[in-house]
Amino acid sequence: MNYVEWLRVRNLLRTTAIILAILVVLAVILRISVSRYMSPDAWVAHMSLDPGTKVTHTVLPGGTKRTTILDPSEPSTVVIDDHGYSGKHIVITEPTSRAHKEQQAHNIGIGSIQVHESRHGSLTTTVIDTNGSVPMLYYMALADVVALIVATILAAPLAREIDGHLEIALTRPCSRVRYALEVIGADAVGILAASVMTIAAFYLVQLLFESARLDFSGINARAIAMGVTLPLAWYALLCAATTWLNRSYGAVLGFAWPVTILIGALTLIPPGNVVALFVHDVAWVLSRLNPLTYVSFASPNDNGTLDYTGAHFALRLSIEVLMFVVYGAIAILKWQRVEA
Amino acid sequence: MPAILTVDPRSGVPIYLQIIEQIKRSIALGVLQVGEQLPTVKQLAIDLTVNPNTVARAYRDLERDQVIETAPGRGSFVRANGLTESPRVAVEIGRDALDLALREAKAVGLTQSEIRELFEAALARWFGDFKK
Amino acid sequence: MSITITNLRKYYGKSAAVDDFTLEIPSATVFGLLGPNGAGKTTTFKCMLGLARPTSGRILYDGKPLMPATFEQIAYVPERSVLYDWMTVEEHVEMNRRAFAKFSPARAFELLETFNVERQKRARALSKGMRTAVMVAMAFARNAEILVLDEPTGGLDPVNQRHVLSLMINEAAKGNSIIFSSHQIGQVERAAENIAVMDRGRLVLEGLVDDLKADRKIVEGIFPDVTFTLDGIANDPRVARSDRTERIVRLLVTGGAADIASRLSSAGAMAVRVLDLNLEDIFLYAVSPANATTDVVVRESSS
Repeated sequence: MNYVEWLRVRNLLRTTAIILAILVVLAVILRISVSRYMSPDAWVAHMSLDPGTKVTHTVLPGGTKRTTILDPSEPSTVVIDDHGYSGKHIVITEPTSRAHKEQQAHNIGIGSIQVHESRHGSLTTTVIDTNGSVPMLYYMALADVVALIVATILAAPLAREIDGHLEIALTRPCSRVRYALEVIGADAVGILAASVMTIAAFYLVQLLFESARLDFSGINARAIAMGVTLPLAWYALLCAATTWLNRSYGAVLGFAWPVTILIGALTLIPPGNVVALFVHDVAWVLSRLNPLTYVSFASPNDNGTLDYTGAHFALRLSIEVLMFVVYGAIAILKWQRVEA
Repeated sequence: MPAILTVDPRSGVPIYLQIIEQIKRSIALGVLQVGEQLPTVKQLAIDLTVNPNTVARAYRDLERDQVIETAPGRGSFVRANGLTESPRVAVEIGRDALDLALREAKAVGLTQSEIRELFEAALARWFGDFKK
Repeated sequence: MSITITNLRKYYGKSAAVDDFTLEIPSATVFGLLGPNGAGKTTTFKCMLGLARPTSGRILYDGKPLMPATFEQIAYVPERSVLYDWMTVEEHVEMNRRAFAKFSPARAFELLETFNVERQKRARALSKGMRTAVMVAMAFARNAEILVLDEPTGGLDPVNQRHVLSLMINEAAKGNSIIFSSHQIGQVERAAENIAVMDRGRLVLEGLVDDLKADRKIVEGIFPDVTFTLDGIANDPRVARSDRTERIVRLLVTGGAADIASRLSSAGAMAVRVLDLNLEDIFLYAVSPANATTDVVVRESSS
């Protein structure tokens, strides 16, 4: 691994750690502010303060512990089904108050908690499910945001060398290709480390509030595979672009995002006339070169889950990997030929 | 060895010749005794801040002219013959100085007798009690 | 390790930075490359080190082309600062330690102290002279067989310039080669055994410093009146240039000064002198156009 690049990566990871720490603090605050949905024991304690509240504990066949709280004064009913490690299922029926939302039905999902509010008449029913396991999908999404940012900051390592350090970089007992691979290797490690740090940080947040199981199954495994390769492919694209363009690499990196979004937007132009068709087609072709195109944060299915599946996933993943390799090779090709 | 060798790299005279001449002069003046050890090539190069091969060339020429002798592993020493060099060197130096003086004097148009007068006066000054 | 440069040409667009340059640099020598600004010295170094691709020609190290492994034996100090602004001096030492097998961090720190450079400082906080000092320290701590130094005293105060010169002499005494370019002719005169002079991309002069000084002289003759002719003498192949002002003639000779002097005497000169040329004079004569006169500090020849 290249020492100079490793120093850059290390410094950036330090900054990332600080930012993650701040985000963790914010996440904790957020979690606390919605904690009224989270602690049945606290509820029980709270509600049993009202005079006339009746609390019943039963055990259902199958082992589920059911706590029923009846408060005739409001009137409100709370039924807490504790499935142990599988989580809790809580049904609250109470008169509609200011605390409830205006709409007929309302859904919130935060990590492992699903909340569903619905109003009927003067009563509101709130159903809370904490199944105790968090799909890795959510973690990967967070990790990828951070990883993409880190990838953009680290990108252009070869352009940085070309910008005034070739006399050092190219007078080593080390072939040019090997040098470039070591530099890219250091950055790749940094990007993956940033992902891991992010997942670790938010896992920590979850642990503070409940036992956390991670769900690696199904779409989660695919999310991890895509989440690892996407930032690397994006990084490689920026490497290739900055190493070949004889412009300020800072500008290229800075404009990368807006240009990507612009091209994406242009692919949505309805082909109303010849010009629009042309622009649409050109934008479509350009967007095929962008690793972000192949990650569909796709439309939800009927049952409300996100869909990463399909026979096309393997293809899309291969494209990401291919992009990493090809764009990387393009960057190294220029590096091979560059003159001081 | 005392630092009696100096070289002027800006002079038109090659440095190795300057070194040779100065070592011969030192022997002639008795500053370097017979059998005295000269600094190593490396040390002299560092002391004078000149290229070691230049010093090496000077030593080689001095060796060839039998002014010094080099014993491998022990160093370079002033040869006994070096002494026989010294009167010759002294004479050479003297002759060169007089040639220079006479040439200048003749070039400005002084006659032989005028020059002789000046010469006697100078002799009296330098070998007398230094009265002007 | 000897370096052989054969018919090197490097074109940038239509203009030739180096034009048909051939040079043989023997091993274990100190070689000075001189030339006016823009003569092609830096370009030659870049071609030698694989930093620029020659348009044509070959450069061989001990008969073999440059390979990555060759760089274990070559240390380079470029003309401009190539340090990483955001890294400290210590981090640069560590970087070199990891990159080169024979690099000695202890020696590097020793040298940095000689130049009064603080280890903790970031490169961006160093003055130009300090940066040169850092690059020089890194190179001399390498124990490399060949050091290529492009203006190694740029920005250095006279004390530090002396340090660099001493370092060069020490390396030479160890048997390593130094190839350097410098505008400090005094340094070249002390340290270099061989020199080559470049002008406008071409080689205009090369040889051992001692031999060049011994052979190149100005023979000056003063004639009784302006009616004298020099035909035969001026056509002598050893006469590179002749300048004539009224009764004084000065001939730049590349050898045989004594002989030419006596011929001037025979031609009727009443006073003939042989004047020494130092390296600066030799250099100036080599790069100035054939018919221009240059001021020569008059030094009586004693050899």
